[in-house]
Amino acid sequence: MHRKFVLAAVAASALLLAACGGSSSDSASSGGSESAGGSSQAAGGGGEGDCPGADAFCIGLVTDTGKVDDKSFNQSAWEGALEAAKATGGYAKYVETVDPKDYENNINQFVSAGYDAIVTVGFLMGEASVAAAKANPNVNFVGVDQFQAETIPNLTGLVFPEDKAGFAAGYLAGLMTKTGKVGAVLGTDTVPPVKLFGEGYKAGVLAANPEAEVTLVYHAPDNAFNDPEWGAAEAKKQLAQGADIIFGAGGNTGNGALIEIAKAPGAGETIFCIGVDTDQYATVPQAQKCLLTSAEKKLTQGTRDLLLLAKEGKFPGGNFLGLTGLAPFHDTEAVVPEEVKAKVAEIVAALDAGTLKTDVSLG
Amino acid sequence: MSTMDPSRTDLGFTDPDPRRSGPLDRIPSIVLPIVSVLLAFAVGAILIWLQGVSPLRAYAVLFSNALGTPEGLLRVMEKSTPLILTGLAVTVGLRAGLFNIGAQGQLLVGAIGAAWAGYHFQLPVIVHLPFAILFGMLCGAAWASIAGVLRAYRSVSEVITTIMLNAIAIALVDYLASQPLKEEGQPLTRTPAIAETATLPVFGIVPSGFLLAIAVAVFFGWFLTRTTQGFRFNTIGLNPTAARYAGISVKGTIVLAMAVSGALAGLGGAIETLGVTGRFEPAFNAGLGFDGITIALLARANPIATIPAALLIGTMRTGAAALQFQTGIEPEVVDVILAITLLFVSAPIVARLLFRNRNIKQTTVTSGWGS
Amino acid sequence: MRARYAYALAIIIGIAILVFYAMDQVRTVSVLAFSLRYAVPLILAAMVGIICERSGVINIGIEGQMLMSAFAGFFGAAVTGNLILGTLIGVGTGMIMGAFLAVGAVTWKMDQIIAGTVINILAVGLTSFFYAQGQVLPGNTPIVAIPVLSDIPLVGPVLFENGLFTYAALIVPLVLWVLLFKTRWGLRTRAVGEKPSAADTSGVGVQGLRFWNVTVAGILAGMAGAYLAIEATGTFERGFTAGRGFTALAIMIFGAWNPIGALGAAFFFGLTQGLASQLQADEVVAIPQQFINMLPYVLTILLLAIVSGRIKPPAAVGKPYEKD
Repeated sequence: MHRKFVLAAVAASALLLAACGGSSSDSASSGGSESAGGSSQAAGGGGEGDCPGADAFCIGLVTDTGKVDDKSFNQSAWEGALEAAKATGGYAKYVETVDPKDYENNINQFVSAGYDAIVTVGFLMGEASVAAAKANPNVNFVGVDQFQAETIPNLTGLVFPEDKAGFAAGYLAGLMTKTGKVGAVLGTDTVPPVKLFGEGYKAGVLAANPEAEVTLVYHAPDNAFNDPEWGAAEAKKQLAQGADIIFGAGGNTGNGALIEIAKAPGAGETIFCIGVDTDQYATVPQAQKCLLTSAEKKLTQGTRDLLLLAKEGKFPGGNFLGLTGLAPFHDTEAVVPEEVKAKVAEIVAALDAGTLKTDVSLG
Repeated sequence: MSTMDPSRTDLGFTDPDPRRSGPLDRIPSIVLPIVSVLLAFAVGAILIWLQGVSPLRAYAVLFSNALGTPEGLLRVMEKSTPLILTGLAVTVGLRAGLFNIGAQGQLLVGAIGAAWAGYHFQLPVIVHLPFAILFGMLCGAAWASIAGVLRAYRSVSEVITTIMLNAIAIALVDYLASQPLKEEGQPLTRTPAIAETATLPVFGIVPSGFLLAIAVAVFFGWFLTRTTQGFRFNTIGLNPTAARYAGISVKGTIVLAMAVSGALAGLGGAIETLGVTGRFEPAFNAGLGFDGITIALLARANPIATIPAALLIGTMRTGAAALQFQTGIEPEVVDVILAITLLFVSAPIVARLLFRNRNIKQTTVTSGWGS
Repeated sequence: MRARYAYALAIIIGIAILVFYAMDQVRTVSVLAFSLRYAVPLILAAMVGIICERSGVINIGIEGQMLMSAFAGFFGAAVTGNLILGTLIGVGTGMIMGAFLAVGAVTWKMDQIIAGTVINILAVGLTSFFYAQGQVLPGNTPIVAIPVLSDIPLVGPVLFENGLFTYAALIVPLVLWVLLFKTRWGLRTRAVGEKPSAADTSGVGVQGLRFWNVTVAGILAGMAGAYLAIEATGTFERGFTAGRGFTALAIMIFGAWNPIGALGAAFFFGLTQGLASQLQADEVVAIPQQFINMLPYVLTILLLAIVSGRIKPPAAVGKPYEKD
């Protein structure tokens, strides 16, 4: 009997704790109702942490499988949603997808809670977004990295010419390399944006420096974006084989490469790395020393702009071409010669204007 | 069972121990898991409370979303289906003394095999659907047989080969879905959609794949305890030497057990393709095989018990998204609860508190490897 | 694997390396360095498995032990601003995780695979739940070139210009081999793993020895985790051990539960990985990427199938000890 009593006591105290939690949580989660305060707050719990009602502009975001603090596309899109919420005085909240089969359900949670605009992140969610947009014509959907084959008025695919960003980064690398060898450590080539970045980079290097040797190495599809140790080892191997500029593009795998290059002797002087997606000077501070630039997809800006258009009732539908470009040089500002800067700026402008083609396609 | 070597430990799942057969002693097998789950939720409550959310409210959200709506129930059943089957795949292996870590790879090849059979042919439903399902099972069985044959005839541990075959399967299906079986004019890595005639129907809110999985679990509950072949599996698992003396072909049985195990995982993949995703897309099947290991262990290698174990995990995974939506609690809390449930079910802590007998014998579900 | 196959394989690989070295020094050295680096966490983790299994305890929770240690080591170093302290926290966490397994699998006589699986799931859940972004290590671990030795061609730059954990990964197997096969502790440990009842009769405390061996082995898992976070990548990400703990189990079996064998097996596996990435980099073969990526795994299976693994695990592994 004694032991049963102990057990009952344990269970009872746990329940008591649970009940206590109920009262104390109200004060803790009230911070969550403040819109656009920060990633953890904006997704805060409690009834008051939800979309305040019809007059507020409420933005929901569904991540691709991954976390909202992934230092990559989920995070950039979420930052865009937060900026839009701040600008409109609205409210933003996210849900992280664990299982891709939940895309539809996760989107529908926002729909049934009366959200005005829903951002779905990642090309894998394309079909789920189309289905949700057709079923809910009153809600505006932003599909990040989702190319729209048909035009649905309340669904805009935010797509980026990754090959252009890669091309510009490659062009810079081609002009900057002293050894005539440049490398790239990439996620898997079965993910279209990664392949576009990689092939664009290669084309850019060769356009600037036809004599250069370009090495592209992709990770195996398993854990392709979450194997920083492999990325680091691969970067070190490429450095040892004479590459002096390496492009790291593949989530944490690419970040591992950047961090490794920053440790190499001569980093920031003769050895450089190039980041991807966002300005990685901010997201991977360990790599600041070697970071020449980042091949940027202006995801935050694109997401924000589309959401603001939605708020103004000018939501475009179809495809919205986001901007790409190169991030500022930061610490390597002084190392890059002025004529290189000028030439690269010219290339970026020509790519944007469409007068220069990368000739990269996903055959 | 008198031929068994007495020096070997009881593996737990045959449970011939007469000391445990009385009506009162039967209670533990039901009460223990329930109490363990409740205690695990109590521990989870602490984690949730630390995040500043009421645990009661969090659990209410978790369960009401999963079990309180027809859509939720449908998703629970959909999510539980591959878990039951990969759990069974691991279970069958364990009973035959094989540790199949490769259910994930077998599920993947089964899923892509079913997708190919599903879109490549134009057949009447009555032929097409069974064919697609069987083809997926066959792919899974063939994939697992590589490990079975190497284990039986080359004495290579199935633990190594299934780990390696997982990695190979991931690369292989990725190649297949991005090159030869790729949908035309699609940037995505995926196969074309399966034909209508190969689609598993949903009856109301009950997916037919779920019913199939339940039927298979019940069948294996019978098969492993009531048939000669099932007895062979158990015997080579318990004592290969005794099995040899009893005239059982150990090698043949190992290959067969591995193939059956792979076919079950392959069936899980086939149902995913034909009943849920409608085509093969590599990212959509991640992690299901590894959950199978947890489920087999939670069910203590009992085929029938894989059903409630899979439903528990399926329910929590279904409710997790709503949990985050409504309370901001990260979905990973489910993993913590799961780990603690497994710990409480298996460790003597709870059992000792519940039952006065301090000497409750710990049973093992798994045998060593390669022995 | 039978010893003569191992020697034959080692000699063939050795000759191949020399031939490649004669052809292209830079490539050979850098591919070998990649291979060693890939092998380091695998070696350390495989040693965890060997100590545990030689004592009769399956440790399938190495992956989780590494992940928890990497988490604790990284955030420990970032928060305290001290790399050494962080490393100690990481290694200490490994030991705690070792003790966790010891309590479950030895003291409580739980099913050993379940005890390890609990660690794996718990590690994924906890490290993900408590992950925080924006932490940075206070510095980098040093690369130490050993004088004289590092000047030897080929061998020097590969083996003797590394971080401290890498040296540890090279030394631990040798030390463990001596301990296992030349000392009283080793004899007792093997006895406990092979025939615990006989060991018990001759006065060895089976439970006590198993408990301490499993706990202390956790230190090596802690080193593998701390290596990944602090020496190798300088970061922690959710699930970034990427299955290395499971691969280490395969390597332990491949190496026939022998520390030197596992060292060789880990290096072989690293070599196939290095080869796969170099084949891609040089675009020497026009076959799809995925097939190159499969290479390490296919080669390992083929090799084992050819040499036939007539290797026996310790007889009592997986079985909690019950006094008769």
